[in-house]
Amino acid sequence: MRNTITRKSQTPQRGLTKTALIPVLAVSSLITACSEPATQDSLTVTDTTLETTSVTAVRETNPLRNAYFGDLHVHTMYSFDAFIFGTTSSPDDAYDFARGKTIVHPAGFPMTLDRPLDFYGVTDHAFYLGIMRQMADPSTEISKHEAAEGLDKLTGAASRNAKFQDVIGFMRSDRGLEINDATIRKDAWSDIVAAANRHNDPGNFTAFIAYEYTSSGADSGNLHRNVIFRGDSAPELPFSRLDSLNPEDLWTWMDENRANGIESLAIPHNSNGSNGNMFSLSDWAGNPLDSAYSAKRMRNEPLVEITQVKGTSDTHPALSPNDEWADFEIMPYRIATMLQSEPNGSYLRQAYLNGISLDNEKGFNPFKVGVIGSSDTHNATYAGDEDDYWSKTGLRDADGVLRGSVPLDTPNADGSEYAVTAQNTWGASGLAGVWAEENTREALYDAFRRKETFGTTGPRMKVRFFAGYNLPELDDPQLLAKAYADGVPMGADLIAEPGDSPEFIAWVARDALSAPLQRIQIIKGWVANGIAEEQVIDIACSGGAAVDPATNRCPDNGARVNLSDCSISTSSGEAELRAKWRDPNFDASQNAFYYVRALENPTCRWSTWDALRAGVEPRPDMAATLQERAWSSPIWVTPTN
Amino acid sequence: MISFLRQPLAWFLCLSGALFIADARTSDQTESLVVTPAVRARIALLWETQMGTEPSASELESLIAGWIEEEVLYREALRLGLDREDSIIRRRLVQKLNFIAESDPVAEPEDATLLAFYNANLEDFRLPERFTFRQLTFRQEASAQAALIALSSGADAATLGESTMLNRAYSYRSALDLNSTFGMGFASRLDKALVGTWQGPVKSSFGFHLVLLTGVEPEQATPFSAARSKVISDYQQANKQHARQRYLENLINNTEIRIE
Repeated sequence: MRNTITRKSQTPQRGLTKTALIPVLAVSSLITACSEPATQDSLTVTDTTLETTSVTAVRETNPLRNAYFGDLHVHTMYSFDAFIFGTTSSPDDAYDFARGKTIVHPAGFPMTLDRPLDFYGVTDHAFYLGIMRQMADPSTEISKHEAAEGLDKLTGAASRNAKFQDVIGFMRSDRGLEINDATIRKDAWSDIVAAANRHNDPGNFTAFIAYEYTSSGADSGNLHRNVIFRGDSAPELPFSRLDSLNPEDLWTWMDENRANGIESLAIPHNSNGSNGNMFSLSDWAGNPLDSAYSAKRMRNEPLVEITQVKGTSDTHPALSPNDEWADFEIMPYRIATMLQSEPNGSYLRQAYLNGISLDNEKGFNPFKVGVIGSSDTHNATYAGDEDDYWSKTGLRDADGVLRGSVPLDTPNADGSEYAVTAQNTWGASGLAGVWAEENTREALYDAFRRKETFGTTGPRMKVRFFAGYNLPELDDPQLLAKAYADGVPMGADLIAEPGDSPEFIAWVARDALSAPLQRIQIIKGWVANGIAEEQVIDIACSGGAAVDPATNRCPDNGARVNLSDCSISTSSGEAELRAKWRDPNFDASQNAFYYVRALENPTCRWSTWDALRAGVEPRPDMAATLQERAWSSPIWVTPTN
Repeated sequence: MISFLRQPLAWFLCLSGALFIADARTSDQTESLVVTPAVRARIALLWETQMGTEPSASELESLIAGWIEEEVLYREALRLGLDREDSIIRRRLVQKLNFIAESDPVAEPEDATLLAFYNANLEDFRLPERFTFRQLTFRQEASAQAALIALSSGADAATLGESTMLNRAYSYRSALDLNSTFGMGFASRLDKALVGTWQGPVKSSFGFHLVLLTGVEPEQATPFSAARSKVISDYQQANKQHARQRYLENLINNTEIRIE
């Protein structure tokens, strides 16, 4: 009971103390609640339409779609690891946080967003859901299991790291199932479902029922997916790695739920740590992919998480040697280990290229996916702000010393000055952007399905992207209406017209509270004569500068960061950038994909903010600055025949 | 000795020994067991709920035989005191009582109750000051100044302003919304007294703006009528969280607790 009581004592006492006043307040409240109560029966409150419309904004539906921002990857006290890391915040606390309230980090400091999010999904690990919390409660039967030993005595980072490795070891052993108590998991899951339904507020804030399916291969290659439900009901228990490690079985389960009216989609994450498995060209059994596999995967997985705290999954310098921005927030390890992850098969851009090869050769593409960003916080909050970063694993990385940005008090035995930890390869990221008519579960979910989504490393940049054959001019006041009418948005396919080259419109607006924009790029991929090719082309530069046609690059816009206080130059960079572009090498007989990457001017990285606040030099082997960015979902141009 | 007691076999030996002794002492007493019509009906109903049809006569007979067997064993277990100091049973009973305590107050709140709750928690239903306005965006301050002059001489606002991803009209936006959309400090740069007149240029993260405020709603409580569904869900949540605590406090108050 100890943990339950601790948490409860933090919640407001209003229900207990104030409901006792009901008889006293019942009469007086009528007077304050209604502006003109005189004609009303004293015990009936009638709704006055006039009042409602003048006070609350009418639910606005925008057929040209608004950008909504959210986090679809959040762990709370019900995740076995988050609990070991010290997180006692509940799904309710997490949704409160997303809506703007302050909650407290296990290390004691407050966490608050500078502005609320539009949507949010708590995604606790399905396996051992809620178990650690019950094991740490000495009044429970399960607390008497040997695996629970020490759970109620965890203190600092070292004991939590040790217990985490301990528990992972036990879970992976033959005895793991001994502690996977179904009653505890059902209780936790029903609380998660109820919290999402309670906080879902159509028109204002969307809360999705969701969870994480946490599978991995024998080599610790990461196969994790977040499962997001469209509606207000969910199966009795989520499908976990203990039901099957094979993601294809997860899809079967989702297909069965769909047949029973429960719609969901799965979003793979940390393909970067999959050791080549996430976008493997063979299925779980080791056979080459076929059209049935492709259809099943596409039916269940329209999106991929391209960025989060544990690095980016767009591409890797070894895979895209000609992309100067490829070496960005690369997290080199397999998840929850310090083993190197093989880049080949682990990054999205290469998967897009392989998808095109499969399409060319076999007529199916299992990797036609859109993108989002999210945080993967295990603190029940968020983790995408460089200047307000608390990493994501509770007491293990609560300060700069623990996460390797500030020197240790006493150097390591080998003389090195910083904590040796995977956390020093992590970053402050990311956010999911969605174009939808209104902020409701249905509208957002349908946008996920049509992949009209983008991912950012945290800033709320808005990215529009269209392709078509008769797109409007950039200064047309009806630009969006015409682009939707005559073209296709991000996430869609465009059928090529023989003998004609399509137009693309990319339009990006900055985040008013982050840095201005430096450039917009288009990333193109195609396969010619069996050889995969990719190209990065700048199409809009800040300051009205022209792109050098020889290099496809904007000139340096001179934006700099002052590392002594993290201030940025205000003389360069744009509030908005837009361009209409044609591919000079377009070939209507080829399959190709095009997506947008938009770059901000450089700003201080979280590690530099940590150092600045600690009064020390930024760690020399870490990037001092970064260019925050957004990636759109691709548009696939496919040949007519 | 301690490690010996942790062995399941040790517990089995102790318990079975105790049972043997208890049984030897008490097994000569007899007790009556009556299968009342109410019991029969309950057994039949349970079957029907699970199987979808009424039990046949022979099925009912075997169900009752099963019930008798279970009841005899259950009574004997109670008589032997097996329910006491068994942590699994203890936990189940506590869970059951907590569930009853939690579920009771959630049922059907009346409007008067909801109103009282609403008034007691007004801060949760408060709407901040909100602005309704039209706006025109310009990259250069001089263009904004020129447009302001044009507006004052009767130009149509729809023909002015540069194309931007920002909206040309916003309704009921809080200062936080404005600062988040246009940049920190934007809301405080608006002159709230100037309703119905174009004002500016106002600096933002996007450039310079001319703003026509058409309404400024003061900070206020959301009327009960508009907040009703949130009041219900907050009320139920608060009650669920605290019913258990109230229930427990009540029990503790009625129990003399001595810690020796």
